[in-house]
Amino acid sequence: MSATAGHEGASHSQDILTRVHHDLNVWGFPDTPVDIFGYPMNLKTLVMTWIVMALVILFTVSATRNMQLKRPSKIQLMVEELFQFLRGLAYENLDPQKGASLMCLLFSLFIFLLFSNLWGLVPTMMSPTADVNTTLGMALMVFILVQILGLYYRKAKYFKHFVEPFVFFLPLVLVEELSKPLTLSFRLYGNIYAGEVLIAVLLGLIPLTATILGGFVFSVVWLSFSIFVGFIQAFIFTMLTIAYISQVTAEHH
Amino acid sequence: MNAIIEALGLNATLVAQVFNFIILLIFLRIVVYPHIVRILEQRQEYIASNVAAAEEERKQAEALRRQYLDELQKAKGEAEEIIQKATKAGEDQAREIIEAAKAEANRIKEAAMQDIAREKEKAVAELRDQVATLSILVASKVVSEKITADIQRGMIDEFIKQAGDLPC
Repeated sequence: MSATAGHEGASHSQDILTRVHHDLNVWGFPDTPVDIFGYPMNLKTLVMTWIVMALVILFTVSATRNMQLKRPSKIQLMVEELFQFLRGLAYENLDPQKGASLMCLLFSLFIFLLFSNLWGLVPTMMSPTADVNTTLGMALMVFILVQILGLYYRKAKYFKHFVEPFVFFLPLVLVEELSKPLTLSFRLYGNIYAGEVLIAVLLGLIPLTATILGGFVFSVVWLSFSIFVGFIQAFIFTMLTIAYISQVTAEHH
Repeated sequence: MNAIIEALGLNATLVAQVFNFIILLIFLRIVVYPHIVRILEQRQEYIASNVAAAEEERKQAEALRRQYLDELQKAKGEAEEIIQKATKAGEDQAREIIEAAKAEANRIKEAAMQDIAREKEKAVAELRDQVATLSILVASKVVSEKITADIQRGMIDEFIKQAGDLPC
């Protein structure tokens, strides 16, 4: 009884979601993957990623053009502060030499994820990070990078940590290693996707008249919280990348 | 495995997204990153040089202050020396003036004494002459008949001698 009721409730909310998504799909993106170069891809995610890339490029290039030493513009100061914040994190957790070589990656990662997370808050747009393909791709990239850096910095000693403190720990360590990209990707995906779903649900649940008469307050509150979450998730992803790299590259005595 | 991929909706977008991100990474690395690093390094150098310059200026000011203090001290010493010299010169001069005055006074006193002595002798001689003449006159009048002039003269001289020995 309750199961059917739950199922009915779920289908009802599903109906609201699909209706809102259908209404919001003003650009006419297909819901199912389309074939590009013979491979199925989510066209909306790709287009949104390109827009976000363009925005990141626009932002960073306009910030770094005509950089002033003594009277920096506001946008230049933003980028500088962001960069110095990330550099502080990297230098604290890695040593400055390794940190400096990774700064470009960390900076790009953070600013790309930040813009991706925030882009979904613009009406009719979608966060590239609200697609599990994006987050899993980034997490796998970080995972592979971590393995490569571990090999590069610690050479053969790198394999030793798989069997420490005993050989029996090998399966545990493997599970731990493999869980890193999964948690990394699903944390980001879950937060951003949930944010977008709740935005759509609020739009669908509250009728238009109620929205005009004050129902918009919930949406505003949730949007501002989503901005906060977008910053936090981008920060967490970058911070965990730093932490994973510092784990595998740290010199054990 | 396929079921999981199906359920998550994974497809080639994953590879495309990694590719997209790597393109963005390369672009930022080439176009944006060097500028940020350069400006931050410049700012760091600028601040460091400013701090160094401020330190240098502080040192210079300190040296200047010490120099001024030294000079002030020296000037004070010199002033004291000059004052002492002047005081000594003044005292010397005063002493000289007093001694000169004393010498002058002594000289004047000596001269006056000599004058007095001379005048006294002159007066005494004059008086002796007059007394002798008077005595002769008186004596010749009193004893004109009894004694000869020679005897008289001898008596008078003796008398005058006695009288001259008297303090007057």
